[in-house]
Amino acid sequence: MSQATGRRGRIPWWMLVPGGLLMIVVIVVPLLAAVQISLLDLDQYTFREWLSAPFAGLANYTGALRDSSLLHAVWVSLGYSVIVTVVTVPIGVAAAVATHNAFRGRGLVRSVFLIPYVLPAFVVGTIWRIILQPQGIANQLLHGDGLWLNGPRSFWALVLVQAWSSWPLIYLLALAGLQSIDPLLHEAAALDGAGWWAKLRRIVLPLLRGPVALAAVIAFLHDLNAFTLPFVLFGVPAPRDVEVLPVLTYVESFQNFRFGVSAAMAIFSLILVLVPLVGYLRAVRLEKP
Amino acid sequence: MIARRGIAVLAGAVLLTSITACSSDSSSGDGAGKTLNVLVSANSIYPQQQKDWFASVSAKFAEQNGGAKVSFETFASPNDELTKIQTAVLAGQGPDVYSLGTTFTPTAYATGAFVELSADDWGKVGGRDRFLPSTLTLSGPDATHEVGIPFTSRPFVMAYNKDMLAAAGIDKPADTWDGLAAQAKQLTKPGQFGLAVAYGDGFDPWKFIWAMSVQAGNPLVADGKASLSDPVTLKAYQTYLGWLANDKVVDPAAVGWKNAQAIAAFGAGKAAFLPMVSATSKVTLDKSAVAGKYAYAIMPTVPPGQSALPANGKAATSILSGDNLVVAKYSKNKDLAYALIKMLTSAEWQETYYKTFGELPTNAEYAKTLQGDAALAAIVDSSSKAVGTPFSGAWSQVQLALVNVVVQSVPNLAKGKVDDAALQALLAKAQSDAQAALDKAKK
Repeated sequence: MSQATGRRGRIPWWMLVPGGLLMIVVIVVPLLAAVQISLLDLDQYTFREWLSAPFAGLANYTGALRDSSLLHAVWVSLGYSVIVTVVTVPIGVAAAVATHNAFRGRGLVRSVFLIPYVLPAFVVGTIWRIILQPQGIANQLLHGDGLWLNGPRSFWALVLVQAWSSWPLIYLLALAGLQSIDPLLHEAAALDGAGWWAKLRRIVLPLLRGPVALAAVIAFLHDLNAFTLPFVLFGVPAPRDVEVLPVLTYVESFQNFRFGVSAAMAIFSLILVLVPLVGYLRAVRLEKP
Repeated sequence: MIARRGIAVLAGAVLLTSITACSSDSSSGDGAGKTLNVLVSANSIYPQQQKDWFASVSAKFAEQNGGAKVSFETFASPNDELTKIQTAVLAGQGPDVYSLGTTFTPTAYATGAFVELSADDWGKVGGRDRFLPSTLTLSGPDATHEVGIPFTSRPFVMAYNKDMLAAAGIDKPADTWDGLAAQAKQLTKPGQFGLAVAYGDGFDPWKFIWAMSVQAGNPLVADGKASLSDPVTLKAYQTYLGWLANDKVVDPAAVGWKNAQAIAAFGAGKAAFLPMVSATSKVTLDKSAVAGKYAYAIMPTVPPGQSALPANGKAATSILSGDNLVVAKYSKNKDLAYALIKMLTSAEWQETYYKTFGELPTNAEYAKTLQGDAALAAIVDSSSKAVGTPFSGAWSQVQLALVNVVVQSVPNLAKGKVDDAALQALLAKAQSDAQAALDKAKK
């Protein structure tokens, strides 16, 4: 500790200036603008000269909580993000473990695994929209006539499609984690007579915990903030079962023109995101003692 | 990171606003070196023709205006349009001329970002008299506060399959909604449905509800008051949803259909009637299995549950639909903008536009020459009997509230039922949302 303090005097802080400026322009200024907008009565009648829009105090916040479906949207967003994360972590880890050791065609399998991840959300949404139509492939395969893009099942359609497109992220990070495990550990375990199951349980999974936890947090935040996929899949106005927070925020701004309320919602979602984010940042710090 | 992205856009706009805070108006005469930016809707039916049209407009305009260029930009969807307009209005820079859908014009007017046309300005675009009076209804709240210059007219009509009607012994489409439902029932048999309706569309549903309500005497919005939970509007929803749920005259898959899928179903010969389409559907239908076997008729004008138009009802055949051109206040090329609009709304260019894209003229002189065309009779008829939606800055929100009722009713609809209690609850919510939006509109 004392060594660190001693060195701190010589740290060339000025080198942070370019990055710092960029951060101010890209993150701090917009954030402050959002906070300011959230305090204004900004709508289609006032947004041309938004700086002189009437001050609304906290009315946008109370309005968002009381008169809009914000809490419902938070609930839907959290619910589906948690489920998607819980579902995709085992799939991603299993896929990583399965493709860790060399075998014929491994390169191909690894590439195929990445397809859902590299496809733009817009494309994923469009493809699944076609699949999940009332007369689409999904119902033909299931011999049913279920409604997937509206009603209670739409929630599960969102979980399914988001899981389909986001598990490769977990897989990628888990694979990176696997590759950083010292091969000597495997050798030592093998010499001690450990089988694959023992190695998996006692060596691989414990060492993967860090990377996978990070992957889970990143994936969770990604799901929580996903706009394009639900927007393309279900359109607006969104069916109530899939009225996620980003879509609600969008509709408030760009269809209802209630920019102030929308900015207040954006601040709410920022707070929502901060909770796992703080966990994520702590995890990163713990990784590098 | 939608929140962060949203605020980044806003912050970018803040910077732009400060940079362009002092824009001024200057121009006239020599257009050399000047470029007029025009934002129009991308024409997905005639993409190539649209590009050619852009080129010929630019060439002609340059010739007439000392080399001034016209640069066209397109938007793909109404949402895209909104985003572009908002960014430009906030930033105080962007296209000089916008082509706006008629129902969006009131919202655009409310922003105060577009030029209110003085008598002098009207003169520059060829005079207010050159337009069909009905097409001016959604130009502004009254004749002295107008921003929209009518450019095209796209009234809604109903396509019907002549062969199917003839086979069922029906000589012409009904003029009451009840009559239409009865005919649709008669025309529904295995492999064929009476009606093709896009319940999953983001825009179509409210037009039905609006038309049936207006016909029954409820304008939905009047004097700053919303009346969405009115019994006649409830009846409109029950009728519209009931076609599938109760009458069983619509393909159950239609709960997920967008407008294009309904047109496709009709084009495949699987439905007898296709209500709420404009003349632009002609291109698709003329290439489909029903080419030559269909015709257009005006939609019923007698509200559901009635056999004649009630005293306070309006025989609206369609919303007043089409495009208006507006000029941005921040534009530095206003005179050039007027010159372009004058050219595009002239009889000659309106004819080109009609012949290329099938959209009806707003130019009175040219419109007169089309009246004799039998194939267009229903569409021209609908155009003259179309009624403008309320001119309110909150109309977009009212529209959204109306569509939302249908979106949230779809799960029940898929189960084959119209739940009156659920419908009333949704309408109460729509009413309060619409009223809240209207309450803010007084500013």
